[in-house]
Amino acid sequence: MKRSSLYQMAVLTAATALFTITALCAQATSTGAQQFDPLAFPGNVVDDVVVPVPSEVFSVLDKLGEPNWRQELRKLDLPKTADRTKLALMFGMVVAEGFVAVQAEDKEEVKDIGREVIDLATALGLVKSVRPHAQAILDAADKEDWKSIRKEFDLTQKTVRDSMEQMKDVDLSQCVSMGGWLRGTASVTSVVTKNFSADRAELLNQPMLVEHFISTINKMGSSMKEHVVVSDITKGLATILSRMEGAVDGFSKDSVRDIGKTCDSLLNGIKAAK
Amino acid sequence: MYLSTRSILQSAALVAAAFITLSAALSHATVDDAHGFAMEAAMPFVEQGFIVREDYWNGEVKTGQKLMIKHQMFKGNEYAFWLGTANEGVTFELKVYDENKKEITIDAKSSGAFASIRVNPPKTGTYTIVFSLTSKKETGLYWALAYGYR
Repeated sequence: MKRSSLYQMAVLTAATALFTITALCAQATSTGAQQFDPLAFPGNVVDDVVVPVPSEVFSVLDKLGEPNWRQELRKLDLPKTADRTKLALMFGMVVAEGFVAVQAEDKEEVKDIGREVIDLATALGLVKSVRPHAQAILDAADKEDWKSIRKEFDLTQKTVRDSMEQMKDVDLSQCVSMGGWLRGTASVTSVVTKNFSADRAELLNQPMLVEHFISTINKMGSSMKEHVVVSDITKGLATILSRMEGAVDGFSKDSVRDIGKTCDSLLNGIKAAK
Repeated sequence: MYLSTRSILQSAALVAAAFITLSAALSHATVDDAHGFAMEAAMPFVEQGFIVREDYWNGEVKTGQKLMIKHQMFKGNEYAFWLGTANEGVTFELKVYDENKKEITIDAKSSGAFASIRVNPPKTGTYTIVFSLTSKKETGLYWALAYGYR
C-alpha cells in the first residue's frame, strides 16, 4: 500500500516537473514577441464562448466599402408557434435582423423588430425582463440613436439568455445564439457575394464558433437534439464547417455562396410553420 | 457611571454592527463587482468610440492560476479587453496570442482593480486570451473579462 502511494507520488512529481519544464521552455523561447503553446498551457481553460454579435462583422464590411444594408433586410414573417425550441431560434434570428436594420439605419424596420421582440418574449414567457429593453429600442428608434439601439439589442439577447439559464433552460439559451449567428452569417455571405473580395470573404473564417455550436448541440438533451430543426442545423453546421476548413488558401466566391445557401436553408427551416 | 457604561456598550455594539456590515460587504465581493470594475476600465475606451459587448466571461480563480479563453476576432476591427476583480491588491497578467502562438497585445495597462489591453487582429480567426490575477492576501479571486470593438 505504502509502496503504491510512493510510486504514485513519484509519477506525479515527475509529471509535474515535466509539465513545468515544458511550460518554462515555452516561455524561454520568447525573445521579443512572446510565443505561446496552448498544448503546454499550465492553467485552466475557460470553456465559455462569447459569440460575436453581427454588428462586429458588419462594422468591418462598412470599413471595406458601403454595403446596401437596406437590400439585406428580410421581411419578418414568423409563424405562431408554441414550440419553445423554434421560438428561441427565432428570437436570436430577430435580434440579428435588428442589427441589420440598425446598419441600414431603417427606423421603421427597427420598430417592427422591437415589437416582434416583445411578441416572441411573450410567447417564451420572458416579456417582463425583455419589455424595458424593447421599449428602449422603440424610444431610441424615434431619436435615430443607432448606438443605443445596438446596445439594447445586445442587452435584450443577453437578458433572454440569462433568464433561460436561470430557469435551467441552457439548451434554449444556446438556440438563441445559434439563430442569431445563422442570420448574421447569412447577411455577411450576401454582402460578400455581391461585392466579392478576399478581405471581405475572410470574415467567414469562424470555424471555432461553428465547432462550438456543433459541440453544444451534441451536449443537448435527446429531445432537443432530435428536434427536426436542431437536427437539420447540426447537418448544416457540418457543411459550413467543411467549407471553412477547406478554405486554406482563402474563400472562393462559390464557397461563400454555399455557406450562404446553407444558412438561408436553415433559417427557412426555423421560420417554417411546422 | 451606569450611563457611561451603557453608552460604551452602545458604541461597542454600533462598532460591532458596522464591522459586521463591512465584513459582510467585503465577503460578498462578487463577479458582479468584478464586472463593475471591468466596465470602469472600459469607460475611457467608450469615449474613443469602442462599443462594449454585453456578454462577458467571469468566475473565481486561485491566485496566480493562469486561465485561457478562445475568442473569435475579425481583421479590420480594433479590440479592447478589460479584466476586473472584486478583490484588493491584485496584480494582473493579460495577453492575447494569434494562431501562430505570437503575442499580439498592445498598450497593456493596469491600475487598482482592473487591467486593459488592445488588439488589432492581423487576420480573421480564433485568438487565445491568457490571463491571471495574483494576490498576496487572498487565495480565491473573483474576475470578469469584457471586451469591446471599434
